[in-house]
Amino acid sequence: MLGYTITQWLFGILSFLSIMFGLMVVFSRNPVSSVLYLILTFFCIAGHYLLMNAQFLAVVHIVVYAGAIMVLFLFVIMLMNLNEDQEPQRTWLTKIIAAVAGGLMLFVMVGSLKGSEQLQLQSYGASQVGLVKNLGKVLFHDFLFPFEIASVLLLAAMVGAIMIGKRDIK
Amino acid sequence: MLSLFIVSGLGVLAMLAEIFKFKKYVFPIVLGGLIGALGALYMEWQTPKSYALFDNMIVFDKMALAFSGVIIVTAFFWFIFANDYFEEESNVVDHTALVLFALTGALMLTAFKNMTTLFLGVEIMSIPLYVLAASKKRYLASNEAGFKYLIMGSFASGFLLFGIALIYGATGSFDIAEIRQYLTDNAGTVPSFFIAGVVMMLVAMLFKVSAAPFHFWAPDVYQGAPTVITALMSTIVKTAAFIAILKLFMIGFSGAATVWSGVLAAVIALSLIIANFTAAVQSNVKRMLAYSSISHAAFMLMVVLANVRSNASVSGILYYSLAYSIGSIAAFTVFYNVSRNGNETVEGFNGLAKRNPLLAACMTVAMLSLAGIPVTSGFFAKYFVFTTLIGTEYKWLLILAVLTSAVGVYYYFKIIIAMYFKNAETTEPVFFETSNKLVVIITTLITLIIGFIPDVITGLFVY
Repeated sequence: MLGYTITQWLFGILSFLSIMFGLMVVFSRNPVSSVLYLILTFFCIAGHYLLMNAQFLAVVHIVVYAGAIMVLFLFVIMLMNLNEDQEPQRTWLTKIIAAVAGGLMLFVMVGSLKGSEQLQLQSYGASQVGLVKNLGKVLFHDFLFPFEIASVLLLAAMVGAIMIGKRDIK
Repeated sequence: MLSLFIVSGLGVLAMLAEIFKFKKYVFPIVLGGLIGALGALYMEWQTPKSYALFDNMIVFDKMALAFSGVIIVTAFFWFIFANDYFEEESNVVDHTALVLFALTGALMLTAFKNMTTLFLGVEIMSIPLYVLAASKKRYLASNEAGFKYLIMGSFASGFLLFGIALIYGATGSFDIAEIRQYLTDNAGTVPSFFIAGVVMMLVAMLFKVSAAPFHFWAPDVYQGAPTVITALMSTIVKTAAFIAILKLFMIGFSGAATVWSGVLAAVIALSLIIANFTAAVQSNVKRMLAYSSISHAAFMLMVVLANVRSNASVSGILYYSLAYSIGSIAAFTVFYNVSRNGNETVEGFNGLAKRNPLLAACMTVAMLSLAGIPVTSGFFAKYFVFTTLIGTEYKWLLILAVLTSAVGVYYYFKIIIAMYFKNAETTEPVFFETSNKLVVIITTLITLIIGFIPDVITGLFVY
């Protein structure tokens, strides 16, 4: 089809959809629909992982982000009962400053990535690296130390959450 | 390596104290553990393993060991100082555990060799601090401090990750030694998104040390957080973040210095001017110390800017971080006790020389050291930093640094003048816990000793 392979078509469609949903997250005025668009964005990104032959990452991405974290987000937003009219009105000055800052960031990113398509692609290992077996080998061999020390991070986050959440007993 | 295990193990042990009811013994256990960790550092110092552990993830060479030593010594004094505050709090155990976890992150930052360990170190250090800043739950200012720190800190972490991803895309490696090799191999043909990545990482790390223009969170967070936590943030966290910057930019991105040195010079100049002039008009002492910490950050960044991998630069920053941490601990301890009644302004120090002469003298030494007056260690710290910069093209920064230091003298002397020449309503001595008195006296002695014989620190090792 038009000289493109099916993978390239899929890549184009998924990229278009993820960028579009990403923009919808920012532009929709209702926080709940923002969250729903974010879930769709995550699904599109999971599709990208599948295209890169990283099934495990794709599944984890859906289960953890779209499944767990976004549900939590939805709960929080519904509990806080945010509405459109409660949204604080920002002044024109802050809007302009934010637009200029964000635009400059975009400008820098596009500018720095321009021309990188001509770079020689280096092979970072076999195409099978995203499969569970190989991922496990990398995680428990090359990245053993970060994997283990991440437990301290999770522990600290849990202790912190409990400390903030619990009532003071004297 | 052993010290890292000891400190993280202590954190877990402290957590268990609530369940197994040995809450009373947590404090001695922690102090003993920290001495043990220091002993472990000393043992490793005798036979330093300069090879990397865990597949190039972490390397405890002499540089890492020395900076870990500074962090653990500061933490030791900090725990003695903070014990008094913890006794008033209901959740001592959680506080202790969180601080120890933050300490684990700080130790990782001294020894990282890989971007993954860098990122995890930064996060392990920051996340407990977000919570600790908000730990006075009933105080709006503390809540605000925690929230602001969390939001801005997460944003900075996002920049850090984005930068790491771009750099990985260009080099295909997380290892800072390999990135260094890549830069020498591909000098001149480095893709522009690598440079974008370097700048993003610079932004994130500058946020962590609160250098201007990424400093806006610092005064609010320092003021809102409980005083003991502010002391922790301005000493241990700052030292650890500096080692990370030093290793990252002097080892990893040294070859791309043309990209980041101009940015860094501008940041240093801005920090010096903004911090010193704003500090001079503050009346709240915590806010003033926050701005002073920004200006000290600028001084330490000068060593990175010089980008010379030499013994003078590494031991210079080691000396600076020790002098600054020890001086700050003394200052914060005195301030914590003086502001017990809730008065956090300079007036709280009025007449302290008559009420507690010894402690007023110690506070004077701490202030002189932070201001960089000769004989105290702060003077030599600044002197070492200046000597590393003198051979570079950024000599104009030295003139700016000296001029702004003169402004710095003004606000540090405000406290000394308040202590000696102003009268308080009462002449009753301010209540000091004996442990706090000890901390103040010992840290003051250290300030003076390393000021008289700086070779103790600078001659520690040959880089």
